[in-house]
Amino acid sequence: MTVNKRKKPASVNPIKTGQSLGAVLALQGCYRAMPLIHGSQGCSAFPKALLTRHFREPIAVQTSALQEMDVIFDANRNLEEALNIVLSKHRPDIIGIIGTELTDVAGVDYATMLKSYKRERNLRGGLAFSVVLPDFRGSLESGFSGAVEAMIDEMIQQAGHRGSRTVNTRQITLLPGSFLTPADVMELKEMISAFGFEVIAVPDISTSLSGHLLTGFSPLTRGGVPLDSMLQSLQSGLTIAVGASMERPARRLHNALGTPYKVFSGAMGLKASDDLLHFLHQISGEPVPLRYCWQRENLLDSMLDAHFQFAGMSVVTALEPDHLHSVSGWLEELGVEQKALIASYETPVVAGMEREVWIGDMDDAEVLGKDADLWISNSHGMAGAARIGAAFMPAGFPVWNELGAYMSASVGYRGAMDWTNKAGNLLMQREAGHRESSIRHR
Amino acid sequence: MDPVRKVDFDSEACGSQTPKSKPCPRPKPGEAAGGCSFDGAQITLLPIMDAAHLVHGPIACAGNSWESRGTLSSGPSLSQYGFATDLNDSDIIFGGEKKLKESIDYIAGRFAPPAIFVYSTCVTALIGEDMDAVCKEAGDRLGIPVIPVNSPGFVGSKNLGNRLAGDALLQYVIGTGEPEPETPLGVNLIGEYNIAGEMWDIEKLMNSAGISVTSRITGDARYQEITWAHRARVNMVVCSRALLGLAREMESRYGIPFFEGSFYGAKETTYSLRQMAYLMNDREMERRVDRLTEREESRLAQDLRPYRKILKGKKAVLYTGGVKSWSVISALKELGVQVVGVGTNKSTEDDVRRIADRVGDDTEYIPEGGASRILKTVRERKADIMIAGGRNMYVAMKEQIPFIDINQERHKAYAGYEGLLRLAKELTYSLANPIWKLAASSAPWDKEVPYDR
Repeated sequence: MTVNKRKKPASVNPIKTGQSLGAVLALQGCYRAMPLIHGSQGCSAFPKALLTRHFREPIAVQTSALQEMDVIFDANRNLEEALNIVLSKHRPDIIGIIGTELTDVAGVDYATMLKSYKRERNLRGGLAFSVVLPDFRGSLESGFSGAVEAMIDEMIQQAGHRGSRTVNTRQITLLPGSFLTPADVMELKEMISAFGFEVIAVPDISTSLSGHLLTGFSPLTRGGVPLDSMLQSLQSGLTIAVGASMERPARRLHNALGTPYKVFSGAMGLKASDDLLHFLHQISGEPVPLRYCWQRENLLDSMLDAHFQFAGMSVVTALEPDHLHSVSGWLEELGVEQKALIASYETPVVAGMEREVWIGDMDDAEVLGKDADLWISNSHGMAGAARIGAAFMPAGFPVWNELGAYMSASVGYRGAMDWTNKAGNLLMQREAGHRESSIRHR
Repeated sequence: MDPVRKVDFDSEACGSQTPKSKPCPRPKPGEAAGGCSFDGAQITLLPIMDAAHLVHGPIACAGNSWESRGTLSSGPSLSQYGFATDLNDSDIIFGGEKKLKESIDYIAGRFAPPAIFVYSTCVTALIGEDMDAVCKEAGDRLGIPVIPVNSPGFVGSKNLGNRLAGDALLQYVIGTGEPEPETPLGVNLIGEYNIAGEMWDIEKLMNSAGISVTSRITGDARYQEITWAHRARVNMVVCSRALLGLAREMESRYGIPFFEGSFYGAKETTYSLRQMAYLMNDREMERRVDRLTEREESRLAQDLRPYRKILKGKKAVLYTGGVKSWSVISALKELGVQVVGVGTNKSTEDDVRRIADRVGDDTEYIPEGGASRILKTVRERKADIMIAGGRNMYVAMKEQIPFIDINQERHKAYAGYEGLLRLAKELTYSLANPIWKLAASSAPWDKEVPYDR
């Protein structure tokens, strides 16, 4: 409906993280990959620390470690040095060079450099791409989709030399958005394959960041989608993108290869899950598996049980755009008052929402969400939620105050049921806390 | 045991005002680890709890880092707010100075902090924002100190950032205020950031010996107390060479003697407390300290007995990178834990010398190379436990190696006598956890014993 912004010069308690962090996250979903951030040391140290804290997994990332004089004279010398070391020591299959605000403002042209580097070193068999992601634009979400787009572009270009392509109609490429947890991606893959499709998720964090003990530690990413599967995904008969931000990469596949695509803005809540399963049912001609029918019943029943809890409750939500849209749709079904919806930055999907959306930070959530009962945001919102006395429900990125947050699924009927119960429990605990304190102070 | 002032430390390394031979080494592209100077400056200054900390630049520097440190507050929490000017494309083209000025006004008007620290970042340094002028103008207009911290990430490593933050304190803060007349003057603790509440343990100890803390630089500090740091009688540099320059400068400017010490381990703690009393030149205090340390040490020895038994002969690999390596080694030695490998990538030559004083000859030095290199040492030396920073925690988990977090993100306080006991307990719990056996076991169907019908 409308997109508003509270007038204030500074960002107070930001929701936003840098775009480059999103790109690092995307590359964690590819097997034997190495994101290489072209910027100062902190540009990779902060994302690494933050991603580690959220996923409780080692994170693969390297840096060109630019210093002042490097930026002024020749930043690409550092990049070349970094590439040499990374290639000779780790031999990654995929290498993603992520340009930062620093290289962008300094006007460093690393795309051309990468091209000639590739030619000189005769880099075959691997995938190397670069992407410009300064953090004075967008946020995690746009960085994630931007990196996936650049990766797909590079794949298309590489495959382009090999001539014609055969389409495998039983194979679907899944482009999961940045807000989906490893458990979400796993659930989506399961749902799609339940209709007899082979599914390749690009990127696939469900097998890399979900916690596995397969291979021990490696400086490169472990798990995730391997390069040959990624290249094979170009033969898919259909692309399913989850999250509006993933439409651009899907469109790339369509424009270059003619692969049709379908975008789901989310898969959280009854209606969104219905839409996804109905679509899969229609394109496959297969019946909806019994377990999903059961799960649907379970969800509806749990919503009936929980609706007493949600009566008259109000919620403030502060998330990345796609995630906000998805969560808001679920909240709609719970019948709670949505006091304020705050997105980290503006995208068409939030501009198109039926409710009023604010572009802002946690401080805006605190002011606009005054007297709300439930607060949904990443862990940075904890202090604000405590200040306005709302129950705090962690969601999005980063979450550090809860074990296993990265493994909680919100998609599908089961995910919606879990979230409904979780939110209801939090409200119940809060109510009990209120009762207790009212007795104590009498 | 007479405390002896150690004066023979030379002044190389980033800690000093004048790096003689080896400045902070240039980070190596492709295998650099650790934060940048901006990170370092924030580590040093964010523990000033009642001040506002405004990051001037695009969002990521603040957005990726706020609320990520383990430094605790006993009261005000304004420093835990993430303030950023959040520059966008057009701000970068037309300059962000106006936005900076407005942001300072906004923060001053809404939160009324005693001071605002403004941090430059790579981008604002690159486009040549005149931050100092904006800060000065705003400070004069608003009547509160607005302090520019010029430590953009690309000038160097985290250590350098610590030092630049110390410079900012010297230039703009220390010496600008006076304590209340009846305040007892004592010791400044420099470079102690109250990680997991360590400062509180240390303060409690000092108070029971009758030594008062004048300024905490900067763990759980209030802005005002740092303004009168120049009135202290002794400076203690708490195991961080980065702020050694600050102590040196204060010695030459205000004649405050300083010493370097640590609170990790009972011996180091006793040494530090004695040194304080000695430098205060107070016989009565020295006696009190002696009584206190004797009492605490004997109680600790009693409490540690069961843990020592378990920990004796256990082997640890220590990778804290910076200066904490030598101080933690002492603590581990007292517990009977043998340090078989130690990281020296961010240590200065001086630190390395101190490490060498504390470890045996067969200890391996790990100069660089990150996680894989540490793991190699752990495996070769058959270490039982890894002690490192949070970034390496899950590296250890993937290899199923018991792990203790020692860096600034940790949640356990290990300083002082109580801290050593806590460290002993943590080590024991970690080693004794059943998960190590469980994680190493395979599923029953993976064991290749055919089913016997």
